[in-house]
Amino acid sequence: MLYVELTVQGLVQGAIYALIALGLTLVYGLLRVLHVAHAALFTLGGYIGVIVTNATGSFALALVAAIIGVGLVGVAVYRLAYRPLLDRPPLVALIASIGLYIAAEEIYRLVFGAYGLSFADPPLQAQVEVLPDLFLSEARIMIVVLAVVAIGVLGWLSAATRTGVAWRATVSDPDIARSFGIDIERVRWLNFFIGSALAALAGAMVALLNNLVEPTMGAVPAYKGLAIIVLGGLGSVRGTLVASLALGVIESFGTIYLGHLLDRDAIAFAFLILVLMLRPRGLMGRAA
Amino acid sequence: MITQDEVVAGISGSYSGSTRAAATIFQENQTPYISAYAVHPEITRAGPYVFRTSFMGEVQGRAGANLIGDLMDLGRVVMITLNNDFGQSLAAGFRDKAGDFGIEIVNEYAYSIKDREFGAIVSKVKADEPEAIYASGYFFTAGPLVRQLRGAGVTAPIIGQEGYDSEKFIEIAGPDAEGVIITTSLDRDSESPITRAFLEGFEEKAGYRADMVGASTHTAVLVLAEALKEAGPGDKAALRDAIANTTVEASTGTISFNDLGEVKKDVQVQIVRGGEWHRYAVIKDDELLAPPSE
Repeated sequence: MLYVELTVQGLVQGAIYALIALGLTLVYGLLRVLHVAHAALFTLGGYIGVIVTNATGSFALALVAAIIGVGLVGVAVYRLAYRPLLDRPPLVALIASIGLYIAAEEIYRLVFGAYGLSFADPPLQAQVEVLPDLFLSEARIMIVVLAVVAIGVLGWLSAATRTGVAWRATVSDPDIARSFGIDIERVRWLNFFIGSALAALAGAMVALLNNLVEPTMGAVPAYKGLAIIVLGGLGSVRGTLVASLALGVIESFGTIYLGHLLDRDAIAFAFLILVLMLRPRGLMGRAA
Repeated sequence: MITQDEVVAGISGSYSGSTRAAATIFQENQTPYISAYAVHPEITRAGPYVFRTSFMGEVQGRAGANLIGDLMDLGRVVMITLNNDFGQSLAAGFRDKAGDFGIEIVNEYAYSIKDREFGAIVSKVKADEPEAIYASGYFFTAGPLVRQLRGAGVTAPIIGQEGYDSEKFIEIAGPDAEGVIITTSLDRDSESPITRAFLEGFEEKAGYRADMVGASTHTAVLVLAEALKEAGPGDKAALRDAIANTTVEASTGTISFNDLGEVKKDVQVQIVRGGEWHRYAVIKDDELLAPPSE
């Protein structure tokens, strides 16, 4: 039973990673930019989630506000920070992204305080028995459901809509896409909006799970998100999902059975190194 | 500060890393330096000009073993240890004395200061069925940890330390904070006039309630102020001697130092009741709580 519990806990953690890393994958797939500042948008989602819930009493409203607000901030990040740098080497955009992330952390600290914020009355705390003697809070169940829904909607958008076709065409070859009349700027805006909205969703849910949002909340996702998209095969949505869930489960077991030797991050990166030694393109990466 | 601004003494209001680095500089310049709440054992070993008004981690760990094994009379304990100098030194002190107080350490798990998700550890602790949980951490790790343990149905008493000692811990853990017990330096139910004046004055000025960090820093400032009254600012060697020989009533109890500059004082045990910290016990045992003297 313990192994089942550890697996379930790992899958919950993996669902959180998936929500965070999907946005990163979308941005990388489209622009080939490692979007470290994505983690700052994740934190912003957490702050909006707590502040709006405490002000209105509605977590649903807070989620909507976080999705729209952070989605728009994500578009602004693209327009103001990345767009002017797209014709420069990718390293330049990466440095800008790291700078943005560090600046955002300090802004959160100055605006919201160093101690972090908590929900006055955290919603979705009731425990549900998902398996015999295995209880998960409604919030944990909700994050798994949200991850499944978000990935499903993304898959549908990508495969079955004109927007998806435009999206994939822009990923494959922006110049040819433009010659077919696709407004690639619009595609990029949409891409950043959706990716940032996913980060906001993850941020608000993680804030709820921990009942805490702090300026440094994005620190771990900032680098682990990158590890996940590398592990999955850069730019692969399916690979990101598999890598997120695999990493969640590996960390879950590793924390218990290797925790006295290695901390959780070290276990995750050891796994990453092992996979890359065996499959240099990641779990689902395609050959160049 | 020391050579140009002619600072006569310093107080560290920070954790161990920066406090250790600064301690060496203060010692080299023979300028008294008091660590308010950094726990690393090497800090006072920088030299005779360096003092500490808070407990070393080992001392508080021993007090934790005394609390669980003797005062609470519980035997099977799971340790959840924060993997930094604070958590490791607490764990070392706890392990050192666990056997003496009849404690069997069933299992020990480690976590990083960055962790806020403890699902795997919670599942394993639940399977271990301990009588008590000795979990080190700060309010921002302990709050989520306690919530997740209680949420999973783990009802064993949770014993923490001064890292929990904040109103923010109660805010994060919410109703799950009820019954959590910690070893710390500040007694909210103290009748000592100086502690009462500190608690009331702090809340009036800050707008929120004081915690261990505030009280420890207040204590360090008071120790230095008393020494300055006695020795004056002109002679740093005399000021050092005045600090070394001080016995002063402060917001964290009666403070005096051993030969290494480590504080000798009682350990306060606090419990969360009705959403507030209250006195659970006071551990007075000079032998158990003796810090290293060299």
